[in-house]
Amino acid sequence: MKYKYLISILFVAFLLPAFAQNKIGSGKVSGDIAINGMFYMPDSLIGADKVDSKVRANSWINLNYVNGNLTIGTRYEYYANPLIDFEKIGYKGQGFTHYFADYKTDFIQVTVGTFYEQFGQGLSFRAYEDRQLGIDNSLLGARVKVNPFKGVSVKGIWGIERNNFDFDYTKRTDFIRGIDGEINVDEWIKFFSEKGINLSFGGSFVSKYEKSSEDIYFILFPNDSLISRTGTIPASKIPQNVGICAYRMNFGYKGFRLEAEYASKINDPNNSNQYIYKKGEALFTTLSYSTKGFGISGSFIRADNMDFRSQRSISTNSLMSINYIPAINRQYSYQLLGNYSYSSQPNDQIGFQGQINYRIAKGTKLGGKYGTDLTFNYSRFHSIDKVLVDEAVENGTYHGTDGYTSSFFKFGDDLLFQDLGFDITKKISKKWKLALSYNYLDYNLFVLQGHGELVHLHHVTSEVTYRVNDKHALRGELHALFTKEDMGNWVYGMVEYSISPKWFFTIADQYNYGNENDALKIHYYNISVAYVIGTTRIAANFGKTKEGILCIGGVCRAVPASYGVGINIATKF
Amino acid sequence: MKKLFLLTFALLMTCSIYAQEQTYQTLPSVDIKTIDGKTFNTKDIVNDGKPVIISLWATWCKPCVAELLAISDVYDEWVEETGVKMYAIAIDDAKTAARVAPFVNGKGWEFVVLQDQNWDLKRALNIVDIPFLCVLNGKGEIVWQHTSYAPGSENEVFEVVKKVLKGEPIEVKH
Repeated sequence: MKYKYLISILFVAFLLPAFAQNKIGSGKVSGDIAINGMFYMPDSLIGADKVDSKVRANSWINLNYVNGNLTIGTRYEYYANPLIDFEKIGYKGQGFTHYFADYKTDFIQVTVGTFYEQFGQGLSFRAYEDRQLGIDNSLLGARVKVNPFKGVSVKGIWGIERNNFDFDYTKRTDFIRGIDGEINVDEWIKFFSEKGINLSFGGSFVSKYEKSSEDIYFILFPNDSLISRTGTIPASKIPQNVGICAYRMNFGYKGFRLEAEYASKINDPNNSNQYIYKKGEALFTTLSYSTKGFGISGSFIRADNMDFRSQRSISTNSLMSINYIPAINRQYSYQLLGNYSYSSQPNDQIGFQGQINYRIAKGTKLGGKYGTDLTFNYSRFHSIDKVLVDEAVENGTYHGTDGYTSSFFKFGDDLLFQDLGFDITKKISKKWKLALSYNYLDYNLFVLQGHGELVHLHHVTSEVTYRVNDKHALRGELHALFTKEDMGNWVYGMVEYSISPKWFFTIADQYNYGNENDALKIHYYNISVAYVIGTTRIAANFGKTKEGILCIGGVCRAVPASYGVGINIATKF
Repeated sequence: MKKLFLLTFALLMTCSIYAQEQTYQTLPSVDIKTIDGKTFNTKDIVNDGKPVIISLWATWCKPCVAELLAISDVYDEWVEETGVKMYAIAIDDAKTAARVAPFVNGKGWEFVVLQDQNWDLKRALNIVDIPFLCVLNGKGEIVWQHTSYAPGSENEVFEVVKKVLKGEPIEVKH
């Protein structure tokens, strides 16, 4: 009977576009449907185990109805038999996961139901989603946004955070409430607007309530000793309310821009920080300058004990984060770097990232007929400086103490991640385009993934696009990764033939030729075809996916090895 | 499971048939930000009655950047010939949002760039994957839309813009 629900959704989905054609009243219906399915085959060599259910799929349908100022919408997610990597993180189930009514005018916006929201950069609060990756921490509750005067906005939220497919909200003893305000000074004071200066300030306060009715027990082995010790933090000493405050500013003048946000959190003993009572704080700031053809930016982030979740004892693999501490390194989509992508450490990181974008103008000797794009990038992240407090040293544990003290701008001893990169993109003629890149990376496998050592690696890529004619194009990529550590050297090659705008044919192979173990010198090949009509995309692929780590939004997740046929269908209407 | 796939296919086919005859959707009213950090309502995406192109992209999305680079190469000619205006809306979140402005300027793009950090517009438009590109007519109706980028598909976008300007009907090609 498990298809009963699915068939009824499909039935509704089938009918709704029909309504959309004629509209419902004076309103309009829109929506999207996606199905990501896979037929799994076992392959013992790459570690793709035989799975208990060979055919698996992640599916959802979204429907929105808009009539004037009113929007109502819902989403049904069908993850009853999800893809293996989603099953492993517990993102399994089905149901209406998103449903809301929203009324919006220029003055006020009121939302009831589930909603997403972000205060400032998110250091104090961010409810967001990335469904393809299984992240959704929407709140069920209510939100009000008011714009009382030009340039002033105030938001208030109250809600219970989503926990995967656990819809039994009556059992929950936790909720979140918050308020945020922002003022654009330049819209109030003539001097600023006349001078072309942008200046705004904002602030937010978010508080989490979670009932504390049980003592917290812990068992640990201090200094790797074999003798365990146990301890208790009584329920009465666990704060039920935890507040976080954030202040931000934004300044812009001509090409200059400065953005900064600082947040601090009161004592919040929880599983991720080993139940310490220290306050948390975070600073994230970016200074940039740009003019036509040139852009430079530098960002700094420090996060100390800022992991903030709806439930204090929940596993650190859960997604129930209330705030968002970003990983600010450059985001690459290179296949071979997938295993070495930096993941944000909300409790313990200090670092910076700098980037220069430069375009050599067209018509110059170096720029050629079409211009040349250059990017230079450097980032470095460390653990923060930590000095254990006496009590923690005496007790042999952090639990229940203030944990440590930390000097604000001092870098800790552990290098977590370093990236030096350079790339160049050049259109040579109407038919040819070339892109080259080089990266040097240091990646702390032990801290970021819990095994191994510091990996030093070089990574080079080249990409060539050849336009056969207006519609047909051939694109080839060749990447190589060189390292003496971890799995050794890799090479990746890809050829894609596209017939615009409908067809894509791709053949790709990743080869771990440098693995010390001959049996693990494996080809991870993949062939795929995609067909696009308008906003409908249907794709099928066959091949092997290597076991890896996917890091997004401060969370890293293991992606198991897999072998089989995948089908992806997505459409919007 | 066969049933599931069959049903899905039937459904998708039906949807695309309906989509052809559907009345035009207008752009939803959503508060996003300018690259100066100011609130901007998507109702204010206008071009004096001339066509508008909207692209949803991100600095980390390779095909998106390839598409914008390709359009940037010919944008001057497009504007001169049709008066079209392009809005490139970045969905980068706090990880990379502060680098959108230097990135765009560094590439010398002349599009109006906006930011949808928490994906409010992406959700309201029911977009599953980027790159997503749509063309609005002078009345702000979405008359053409497309997901994904293949080299050369920018030519089709320009054909659509020219038709919109002349008031010719837009066919959804199959």
